[in-house]
Amino acid sequence: MTSMSLKVLVSAAVLSVSAGAYAAGSHSGGHHAGEGDHASDGHHSAGNIGRAGNPEDVTRTIDITMYDNYYEPEVIDVNQGETVRFRITNQGALVHEFNIGTAAMHRSHQAEMMMMVEHGVLKGDHIDHDMMNMDMGNGHTMKHDDPNSALLEPGQSAEVIWTFNEQANLEFACNVPGHYQAGMSGEFDI
Amino acid sequence: MRVFVVTVLVSLLSWAAQAGEYNLTVDRVTIDAGEFTKQGIGYNGSSPGPVLRFKEGEEVTINVTNNLDVSTSIHWHGLILPFQMDGVPGISYDGIAPGETFTYRFPIVQSGTYWFHSHSGFQEPEGAFGAIIIEPEGREPFRFDREYVVQLTDKHPHTGDRILRNLKMSADYYNRQQQTVGDFFADAQSQGFWSALQDRLMWGDMRMMKADIEDVQGFVGMINGKSPEQNWTGLFEPGERIRLRFINSSAMTYFDVRIPGLEMTVVEADGNYVQPVSVDEFRIGVAETYDVIVRPREDRAYTIFAESMGRSGYARGTLATAEGMTAEVPELRPAPLLTMADMGGHSGMDHSGMAMGDMDMAAMESDGMSGTDGAMAMDHGSMNGDMSGQMGGSMAMDHAAMGHAMPEADDNPFYADGSGLIPEAANGGRFLAYTDLRAQRPLYEDREPTREIELRLTGNMERYIWSINGVKYEDAEPIRLQYGERVRFKFVNETMMTHPMHLHGMWSILDVGQDKWNPIKHVISVAPATTVYMETEVDAPGEWAFHCHLSYHAASGMFRKVIVEGGPDSVADGDAEAVDGQEGEA
Repeated sequence: MTSMSLKVLVSAAVLSVSAGAYAAGSHSGGHHAGEGDHASDGHHSAGNIGRAGNPEDVTRTIDITMYDNYYEPEVIDVNQGETVRFRITNQGALVHEFNIGTAAMHRSHQAEMMMMVEHGVLKGDHIDHDMMNMDMGNGHTMKHDDPNSALLEPGQSAEVIWTFNEQANLEFACNVPGHYQAGMSGEFDI
Repeated sequence: MRVFVVTVLVSLLSWAAQAGEYNLTVDRVTIDAGEFTKQGIGYNGSSPGPVLRFKEGEEVTINVTNNLDVSTSIHWHGLILPFQMDGVPGISYDGIAPGETFTYRFPIVQSGTYWFHSHSGFQEPEGAFGAIIIEPEGREPFRFDREYVVQLTDKHPHTGDRILRNLKMSADYYNRQQQTVGDFFADAQSQGFWSALQDRLMWGDMRMMKADIEDVQGFVGMINGKSPEQNWTGLFEPGERIRLRFINSSAMTYFDVRIPGLEMTVVEADGNYVQPVSVDEFRIGVAETYDVIVRPREDRAYTIFAESMGRSGYARGTLATAEGMTAEVPELRPAPLLTMADMGGHSGMDHSGMAMGDMDMAAMESDGMSGTDGAMAMDHGSMNGDMSGQMGGSMAMDHAAMGHAMPEADDNPFYADGSGLIPEAANGGRFLAYTDLRAQRPLYEDREPTREIELRLTGNMERYIWSINGVKYEDAEPIRLQYGERVRFKFVNETMMTHPMHLHGMWSILDVGQDKWNPIKHVISVAPATTVYMETEVDAPGEWAFHCHLSYHAASGMFRKVIVEGGPDSVADGDAEAVDGQEGEA
């Protein structure tokens, strides 16, 4: 393969990852939640999934442990409007993700993560951060830092603060290829 | 789902120090294969035998009573246990005489899907097999709401003895897909006369035929003892996750398995967890197992369709929401043909008749070959001499000119470049490759092997002799390994058949280039003209069998005894507790 076509491939991957980031990440901060203005995501009524929460609004902290390949707990009760701090720890031996979204959002994110695997960003038990953070020259990277998710290597921890709206069928899921299909997902009871 | 988790926890507690006792009788049974009925051998009155459910950590006692008038044995395929319990007559023990009861006792140090079968004569092809499910001590790395064993076999109307006799008499006795004179003229029309003729001469000289993918055709593919017509059915509720435990208990047949309309997530291979990988279809070699998770969401039936690799038969079952529901049964796809690539370095074959020099090479430049565009870069000079070793690397023949279907080499190193056997998913989707398999939990530290042992898989199809390094079992010295070493086995398949190699007693770590994530198996399938490596941590003292799991290949010589020297002293007295610390990490 020439370096030319490799570059094209990599930028395609970056674009695709960024598209996903818009779909999920635009619920944060300065954006208005609930306006349904996300052209890149036609699968759900955007905004209903909630938005990145303000730490001051946190009423509750929930610990989530990620194992190979499942969560503990697998069902979480939350209230509409509630802001929850999720303290997520990866106790598994593989890389795992905690991602809040609908099944459809997860499905499209899985395609992106598959690309991360194919491009060597995502290895079995570690993330190639150099590759992931590489500036592709147009401001895009394969960074995985959306406010609705955390992608963790074994032993790592992270926090996700999220304010819930009413949205049926909201799931938390790991979109590392194969993991969701193996059952690494959980439900929010709102 | 919560209920399931609680159930697991409760059962964990109650199983804690379980010591189960199981009884099996070995019986003459009648097997109804739909198209025919035959006398066979089963366990507890049926074939397949019962599903044995063990629990990791359990100490099992299994009383096996032989109700046959001949000696028998049971081998616990894939189980890590003391060698005296491994059930291979002449290696582990003397077998079980008629009327006798043998008591197996061993600890269960692993979990997953396995099977058991007779290791005596052709009792296994006659029906002497069953499934083993071992529940893990901890939680599974995946979720499922219900599970089914899907045990495949290739039931043949003839007895095993008769099949081997016929194969010895004429290796193509059961080859129903031989190319005919009609095929020749069809090829001559499409490829040109000389090309077609040259093709036939070449293959004739190899004493092989392009359709030699399955030695033994004319079988009925069965799932859990049901023929395609009898349609084994597993029920489900829409939305449930179903774990299907596929076991290939065939004598000779590889199957390509798919469930049209469902993606299958492979979570276990040969009893060991693999990092989940979602595919549309997979190939299961003889004696392999694959566990997959499927999640049918619709209230309808789905067909489990398992075509034999050579497309001479199929097994079929159904997943449905009610008994009696069926889904469309696909047509068999056209039979693949072996290619020159599959002929690879077949130096183990008998080349005495290989008079390539007699062929009129000039004819190859004639009009008949116009399709090749002069791409026939074969070194004809070297063809006059000894073909050994020449075919492998230097054969730069334009395969397309040969008129075979030539799938891209893919990037699947487990098939020869241009092999006719490279599988493709029926729906154009993803077909599981060995390179997709990654251990979920490596059992051993990854370390450099202490030495390499080359095993050339060799044979003479015409005389139906199969061997290793050109020597058949009865003439061979055992392979001696030292306890504590890590041996790298190099399989070089010099035949045109695919061989599922099975080492007893110790794991086979398949080299897929992923170091510590290399998958841990008990059967390594080696395609024609390929070289495949596996590594084994030699951690089980005693004497073990190592063989091709195709029944008639094993019986005709592709078999070795392995002796592991050294190790814990207590083994010498046959103490079942001698082999522990086997299970690696918890």
